[in-house]
Formats: sequence, structure tokens, C-alpha cells
Amino acid sequence: MLELRQLRVGYGGIEVVHGIDLLIGRGEAVGLIGPNGAGKTSILRSVCGLVPPSAGEAVFEDRILNGMAPEQIARMGLALVPEGRHIFKTLTVAENLRLGARGAAHEGRMEQTLERFPILRERSRQRADRLSGGEQQQLAIARALLSGPKLLVLDEPSLGLAPRMIDVIYELLQGLRDDGVTMLLVEQNATRTIDFCDRCAVLSTGRVRAQGLRSELQRNPDLLRAYLGRQP
Amino acid sequence: MADLIQNLIDALALGSLYALIALGITLVYTVMGMMNFAHGEFIMLAAYALYVFAGLPFAAAVPVALLTGVLIAVLVERVAFRPVRSADLSAQLVTSLAVATILQNTVSVAVNARAQSVRTPAAISESTTLGSVSVPNLEFVTVGLTAIVLGGLGWLLYRTRTGLAMRAAAEDFEMARLLGVRADRVIAIAFAISGALAAAVGVLIVLQTGQVSPTMGLTPVLIGFVAVVIGGFGRMVGAVAGGLLLGALSSLLGVYLPDGLVPFRDAIVFTFPVLILIFRPHGLLGGEIGRARV
Amino acid sequence: MSGVRFRSRASLAASLLVPLALIAIVVGVGAGGTTSFQGTVTLILCNLVIVLGLQVFVGNSGVYSFGQLGFATAGAYVAAFLTLPAAFALLQTPGLPHFIADADLGPLVSTLIAAAASGLLALVVGLPLMRTSTLAIPISTFAFLLVVYNVVANWDRVTGGSGGLVSIPATTSVESAGIWAGAAVLLALAFKWSASGYRLQATREDEVAARSLGINVMRERLIAFAISGVLCGAGGALAVHQSSVLNPTTFYFAATVTTMTMLVIGGARSVFGAVIGAIAIGMVNEVLRGVENGANLLGVISIGAAPGLAAIGLGLILLATMVAMPSGLTGGQEAGELRWICRLRPAKPTTSPSTRGVLADRVPVERSAEGALRAAGISLAFSGLHVLRGIDLDLHPGEALGLVGPNGAGKTTLVNVLSGFQRPDAGAVVLDGADVTGRSPARLARHGLARTFQAALPFPQLSCLESVAVGAMAVGTGRRTAVAVATDVLDRLNLLGQARRPAGSLPPGSQRLLGVARALATRPRYLLLDEPAAGLNEVEREELIAILRKVLRDFGCGVLLIEHDMGMVMEFCPRVQVLDDGITLRTGTPEEVQADPAVIEAYLGSSYPTAVNA
Repeated sequence: MLELRQLRVGYGGIEVVHGIDLLIGRGEAVGLIGPNGAGKTSILRSVCGLVPPSAGEAVFEDRILNGMAPEQIARMGLALVPEGRHIFKTLTVAENLRLGARGAAHEGRMEQTLERFPILRERSRQRADRLSGGEQQQLAIARALLSGPKLLVLDEPSLGLAPRMIDVIYELLQGLRDDGVTMLLVEQNATRTIDFCDRCAVLSTGRVRAQGLRSELQRNPDLLRAYLGRQP
Repeated sequence: MADLIQNLIDALALGSLYALIALGITLVYTVMGMMNFAHGEFIMLAAYALYVFAGLPFAAAVPVALLTGVLIAVLVERVAFRPVRSADLSAQLVTSLAVATILQNTVSVAVNARAQSVRTPAAISESTTLGSVSVPNLEFVTVGLTAIVLGGLGWLLYRTRTGLAMRAAAEDFEMARLLGVRADRVIAIAFAISGALAAAVGVLIVLQTGQVSPTMGLTPVLIGFVAVVIGGFGRMVGAVAGGLLLGALSSLLGVYLPDGLVPFRDAIVFTFPVLILIFRPHGLLGGEIGRARV
Repeated sequence: MSGVRFRSRASLAASLLVPLALIAIVVGVGAGGTTSFQGTVTLILCNLVIVLGLQVFVGNSGVYSFGQLGFATAGAYVAAFLTLPAAFALLQTPGLPHFIADADLGPLVSTLIAAAASGLLALVVGLPLMRTSTLAIPISTFAFLLVVYNVVANWDRVTGGSGGLVSIPATTSVESAGIWAGAAVLLALAFKWSASGYRLQATREDEVAARSLGINVMRERLIAFAISGVLCGAGGALAVHQSSVLNPTTFYFAATVTTMTMLVIGGARSVFGAVIGAIAIGMVNEVLRGVENGANLLGVISIGAAPGLAAIGLGLILLATMVAMPSGLTGGQEAGELRWICRLRPAKPTTSPSTRGVLADRVPVERSAEGALRAAGISLAFSGLHVLRGIDLDLHPGEALGLVGPNGAGKTTLVNVLSGFQRPDAGAVVLDGADVTGRSPARLARHGLARTFQAALPFPQLSCLESVAVGAMAVGTGRRTAVAVATDVLDRLNLLGQARRPAGSLPPGSQRLLGVARALATRPRYLLLDEPAAGLNEVEREELIAILRKVLRDFGCGVLLIEHDMGMVMEFCPRVQVLDDGITLRTGTPEEVQADPAVIEAYLGSSYPTAVNA
């Protein structure tokens, strides 16, 4: 569904992603892990159209994304839940959700979504900045889901959340997974992501250092090296 | 006592006019982060529509003026401001200055550099008596129009999908785009509304002065800028507050200033915001410089 | 001390002489023409003085002021008061005090007094205005323009009201205007290249970085604003003594647009640009005005009189420039910096071995190892999130401490607190025994704390030498010493060969080093480096590590290194502090930290089989 071919991303003359290949098939949950500064967020921003790639291609459902405007890419069915959530603090929960609701059958989806995220139904009329971190994360995910996306991309959904909250979020994500939503998950927290996803790619300083299934990665020393540097 | 009420009503009327100007400028500022110098020329061009279409009954000419304001605003955005959308704020300000000069002088060349008179409905220049107070009809119109505009704007922003998209874009433009909000469309709509607001101001000024001139937009745009600054950048509420405050100040000064100082009223009014800025550099209600909230 | 300067002698000469030569040519051309042509050229030169006034403020600060012509008005009126013969003064300005009305001063003295008066006015007006934000300044200066107009147009008894003044002695000749223009060029260049001018340019390039170095933004802007007032006042006075008439609209909106166009099209950052712009647009304006009065094209088509065409033309030119060529014709460079001149002489400063020794002696390196940078119990929460919860930190001069932790751990926030950019809710920051909690970054810079910023470009439009020297100037070092300090620092960081290249043209690795160099020029005792290795390749990183080791040795400062690149941290820092979720997880040697289960868990998550280390 999504394919990255030799993708390179740079800012102001400095290249941070040095040629990435990645493949995500329909219904898969793929994880992108690695320490901060590895380039994970840059890849996402490039795929979503916020930053043009300096080389290489991002292909979504057989269409090349390079050069498309972010709103066009979103309307193609690629929904991003960005790092830090970026909910609209001056809008109510309901208004935040309404913004996400697009396209056909969105009313049905709204009802479905509120079923899945009961806390949002409860706080529907409140201003979004009154929500706790975990609730905001739920709002961000719900909002992205309301457009009925083909691919859901999440950038560090567990950032800044207490461990219990993270459990809740991942339960929700598992529910989505069971319903067949295709996902690309970017996380710093390696083990949980490896556990959750079908496949993971380990990124460090702009390159893929390791890729594979859960069982392959769990004992991979490259993983430790990517995060904590050279072994003594 | 009657005098005081009279003065307060005058102040409210002038304040409402200024609030309308400030709103038009703030609307563009919140979505684009840009202070539009050419807003004064939107006012001027809409007013000139009344002059050009003087043959029509006034009530029919007003919608034409509104349309003119909207079209000019959208056109200017497309042609002049879109290319510099990613430039820094100062560059955008200077660009809008260039546009203002072009528009102002085009009218000067095409029509005349001097003021032209426009016939206005007689009823407007009359006053209505309420108890012991005599209120000029124009002031009713001004305050009433402002109230309608505020109501309409509020309805648009808070009860329609378009308004929702605009408020979202004003808070976080990038995130709005990631949700599928079309950037170009939101900005064009903001300019269109701003043009309509400018047209309303233009009509009101013509009703007041019975004249149009190529430079008539200069003082209003400055008033608008100053009102936005003292109200706190980028907030609708702040713009309205700033406009009301400035209008009230100007109007009351006109009444209570000693005779010798009356010609200097404008100078005093424009010095006032500097004082506010000294103590509250972010305006009375505060606000972020840059992309800001509604 | 020879051989090390901001620019080569050739470049300096070119930057000075080319604009002066241009002015001389204009004077020559003008002097040879008819009286009316002379008048036109004289006015162009007077305008040039005003544009230079504009350049001094706008070009160096990067902030647009729309009120400078208010100072031209002030200068014009003051000069007119002083030169109007008593009889005329009585008629036109009965309200003037006698000693002014009776004054009948010569052109030079009256212009000087007018310039001084305008400068004083600029100082008074600038004091409140420069405290406002970068966006509020254009608007409040625009308000100032209108206030001046309003006052002058209505104060009939003193200024002659909207009718203005007439019969002002026409004492400005082409030659005298040329001399004033030349003097203005020299003044503008002298300011631009003075310590104050450099500090102001730094705020234009990167206001946050400038503040962090210790620069007082408001003060530098005020200085430039006052000098700008002086020049605009002089220009106004000169112009009015050519045209002989003066009214409130002489230096008002239209003139503001014209002078702004002249500045922008030449390139606001450059004095040379102001000269080119004023002359070019001055000529274009004349041509357009000629067309305005009706013209005969090829003797066949005749265009009727159309006042306003010139302004439209100028507006279009301004618009086109903003869209297509925002840096103007010169790209903001002085005559000596343009590439076709630079190619004549390779830009290399000459430091002979003897001077290097001299520099090392003259710039002693502090080696006292007492004192420390201490943070105790730092806590900070915003938006309901506890970002820092009771952090302690200890850094001594001459030691390197690595600060690591997963994303969101609070590292950048901690650095912001240490460097004065954020105030903690609780806890204290103590610098060499002095409590500096919540003090401004500028204050901290003067106390000996410097920081770099993530991925920031060091003052791209200044040369490397200038960029680094600004660091020294920011903490109050004089210009000459600053150059020496900067040369020394660049030398130690192996960047001296790039000294005269624009900082923005360097490859990313070198730019990072330049950022470090700039921080070092403030002679810090403690250096906070925020992710200096981000985006660098292997080679560049190794180079950076080597340089940092040298820095520790030569400068004796304490280095706090925030990095995600663990390899680099492990190599360079003997001590590492790990932050996670706002608390300190572990402090120890790199090996200890790498093997600590809590640290591994923080990065990789729980249930990671730690046995894999084997």
C-alpha cells in the first residue's frame, strides 16, 4: 500500500534521512523504531507532504506522493496522528472530531468512533485543552480515524503518557488492528512496538540498521547498539 | 446628563466603525499571519463603486460596493500575496504597501486625484429623537450594521464547517492541512470576508462624509492596525475591543478637548497606543505575534 | 597587530570608494546640466541621504520602520525656521519664538542643528517604540508618521499649517548635496561595521541567538533608530533648501513609499544598495513623472497628463522586487563583497606565525578550575505536564558531562532553564556561587555561560570572522579585541581559512563548529551544546569530537553535551547523566550507564532481555 524507495530527506542543506526503503502492505502494522534524531519523524513529514523529499519516492496506492500538498495526501486516505498530538486547543472535542469527519458515511463513522472512545463522548462539549494527555491522544487518533483512512500513521503515540495510559492506547490500537486498519507506527519505545507490530524497521542516524519480524528483532544486538551506541 | 448619553452613543458609533475595520484586518492576520496595508484600498475601492454607480438608487449600489470589496480582496490575494506567502512578515507588509500604492494611484489616474462627492439618501443625515437625546440616523445604521456583522461572523465561524476550518487553520495551519483542509481556499475565504467588511466600512464612511477620495483609506487602515495592536494581535475579541476603545477615545476627545487642542485630536489618539504598548507590549488582551488564535 | 581584519584592504577600499565614486559621477553629471536638471539631481542626492538614514535602521535591524520620514519632516521644518529671514518668518510662522524666527543661519549650521534635533526626537520616540515587538514597530512608526503630519498640518501659527512654508532660501547646490551624501555613506558604513552595528546585525540574523550571547536588542535598535533620525533629518533639511517650499505632505506617504522602494530595490542590508537604489529609482521617477505630464510617443501618440502614473510605476517596481528579488540588486552586499570584485583578490587573512604567537599571548585562556555550574531541585511544569521533577546537575570547569535521555525526557527544557530561557517553578541555578535562577540569557552570558542551539545557522549573512567576533562584542568587548579573540578561536578550531566567507556558505559540519566558536568567543566558563552532531556524517562527527577535546583543554571551560548520538557521548564524556520523564535516572560513566537496566528500559521499554549484552 505504501512504498518508500530510496527516500532522502533534508532540511536546509543537511540530509537527515539517507535513502530508506520500506514496504507496508494492506492490513499490516509496521513499526519504525530507533532513537530520537534517527530521522523517523522526518520520514513521516515527508510522506505526508510537509517536507519535499530531496531524492527518492514515496508511493501510496500506486500514486507518487512527491510534491503533493498535505491536504491532497490526506484526502487520498493517509491520516497522520503527529508527534505531540496537535489537537486544536481552542476548539471543543466535538469540533476537533468534526474536522476529521470527511467524505461519505462520516456520520456512521462518528457513532462508531464514539463507541470506541467513550471518554470523548463524555467530554464532547469541553474545550480540548481541558483533556488529560491520554485523552488528548485518544482525541487525536479518533480524529484521524473519522476520515476512514486507508493508512493510519502514528508518530510516537506514547510520548509523555503514563504507563497505564500507554496500555489503554495500545489496547485501542489493537482493536483497530483487529478491524483491519493498516498502520505505520513510529515509536522510541522499542520493545512494546516490536511486540505490537507485524514487522519493524530499526532506524539510526538516517539509515535502516535492521528489519524483521518480532522474533528476529528481539534478540538482535543491532537494536541495542542503535539506541545506546557502541558496546565497550 | 442627556449630553453624556449623547456623547456615549457617538462614541459607540465611532467605536463600532473602528471595530469593523480592525476585524477585517485581524481576519486576514489570523489565517495568514500578515498585516494587510492594502485593506485601506479595499475600503476605498468599495466606496468608489458607490461613486461609479451613482445612477443606481443607493440601496442598489450598496450590494455592488460589497461585491467590489470581495472581488478586489480575492484578486489581490491571488495575484500579489500568494507569491510572498512564505516570506517573512516584514516582507509581506512591504508587499501590501506596494499594492496599496498601486491601487490608490490607479484610482487617482483613472478617476481624479481630488475628492468626488456622492449623493447619499437624505434620511441618513437626519436624526431621530429618543426622549431627550437626538441620535443621528447614521449612528443607528453603524451600530446596527456592526452588530449584524458580528453576529454573522460569529455564526459563520462557530456554526459552519467553513468557519470551523478557518478557526482550525488560524490555530495550527499545518495540522489543518493534514486533516484535509484546503489552504488556498481558507485563505481566499478569509480575504473575501475581509473585503466585505472593508466594503461595509467604505459605505459607512461615504454615508458620513458624502465624499470619496483616493487617499480615504489611509487613516482607516492605520486606525485598524493600531486597534489590532492594542487589542492584542490576532484575536477577534481583541480587535473589537481595540476598535471600540480607539473610537471611544477619539469621539470623547472630540467633545472634551479644549478648543485649542481639537485639531490635534488625531495626533493624541495615535499616541495613545504607544502608551499601552509600553506597559503591555503584547497588547491589552495579549496575543501571540505570528500565527495566532481567533 | 596586522594581517587579521574583517575584510581585506582591497575589499574595504572598494566598499568605501565605489559608492563615493558613484556619487561623484552623479554630481559631475548634474553640475553640467541646466538649472532645472541640477535641481533634479540635487533632490536625488538629498533623497539619498534620507534613504541612507532608512538603511541604517532597517537594513541593520531587519525591522521595517514606516515613520522615518517623520524625522525628515522635523529636520526640514527646523532648518527652515532657522534660515527663513526674519521678515518672512513673521509672516508665515508668527507663533515661533523670536530667537528662532530671527535666526538667520547659514546652510551648514542650520542643517547640522536640524539633524541633531531630529536625532534627539528619534531618541525620545524610539525609547518607547523599540521596547515593542518586531511587528509592532512598523505599525507604531507608521502611527508616528501620521502624528507628525497631524501636528504639523494643524499647528498653523508655528508651521504655517497645511499651506506650509515658502521662500526658503535655496542654498543646497549639487556639490553640497553630494558632499552630504558622501558623508552619509561614510557614517552608514562606519555604523554598520562598528561593534554596535554588528550586534544589531546579529539580532537581524537570529534574534534568539543574539539574546543568548548577551546582546541587548532594544538598546541596539534604539542607537540605530537615533542615527537614522539624524540622517533623515539632514536629508529633509537639505531637500527643503533646494525646492524652497515645504508643506506637511512633502515627506509623507508618497515619499515613504518612494524611499522604501529605493531601499528595497538596492538591497536593504547594503549601504551600496541604498546608493544604487536611490539613484536608479530617482532617475526612473523622473522619467515616469515626465510621462505623467503628458508625452509624445514618436511624435504620433500623445498621452494625456496623468498624475499618479509615477507612483503606480514605483509601486509595481516595489511589488516585483518583493516577489522576485527580495534581496535587491546587490543581494545585500557591499561593493567590496560582490563576487566580481572579490575574485580579484583571494579572501584569505594573512596570519604569520609571529602574529599567532602574539595573539596567543594577548588572549590569555582562563584556567581557574574553581567554581561550578550547579542546578538543584529544578522542577518545571507547563500545561499540566511535569516536564522536570527535581533535577540536580553539577558541572565543573574543564570537565565534560553528557546529558542523554529518550525524547520528551526534559533535556532541552533543562538546558533552557540553565541558560535563562525558561524559569523553573522550583529549584535554583547557581553559577560560580551566584544564584542566577531566572536571570535573562544576556545576564547569564555575561556571567560566563554560553549555549548553542539545535541545528541553528550561525548568522548566515555575516562572514565567519564577523559571526564569531559578535560573540565577543556581545559581552562588551571592544571591536579590535573582539577581532583578535575571534581570530584566536577560529584558529584553534581550524576554521581560520574560512574567516571571510559568509557563514551561511559553509558545509553543515563547519557551521556547527562555527556555532561553537561563536559561543567560545564570549569567553564562557560553561558551555552548553545542544545536539551539535545532529545530521553530521561520521567524518564530521569525529572532527567535532576532536575539536571539543581541544576546547576542553585550551579553554578550560565545562562542557555540557546534550546528544542523541550515544556513540559520540560515550566517546567524549567521562560522565553521563540520563534523564527520563523529568527525573535523573542514573549518573555515571558511559559503561555504567549503558549496562544499567533502568536506562535500557527507559530507551527500549521493559521486558528487553538484558542478557543480549553478552
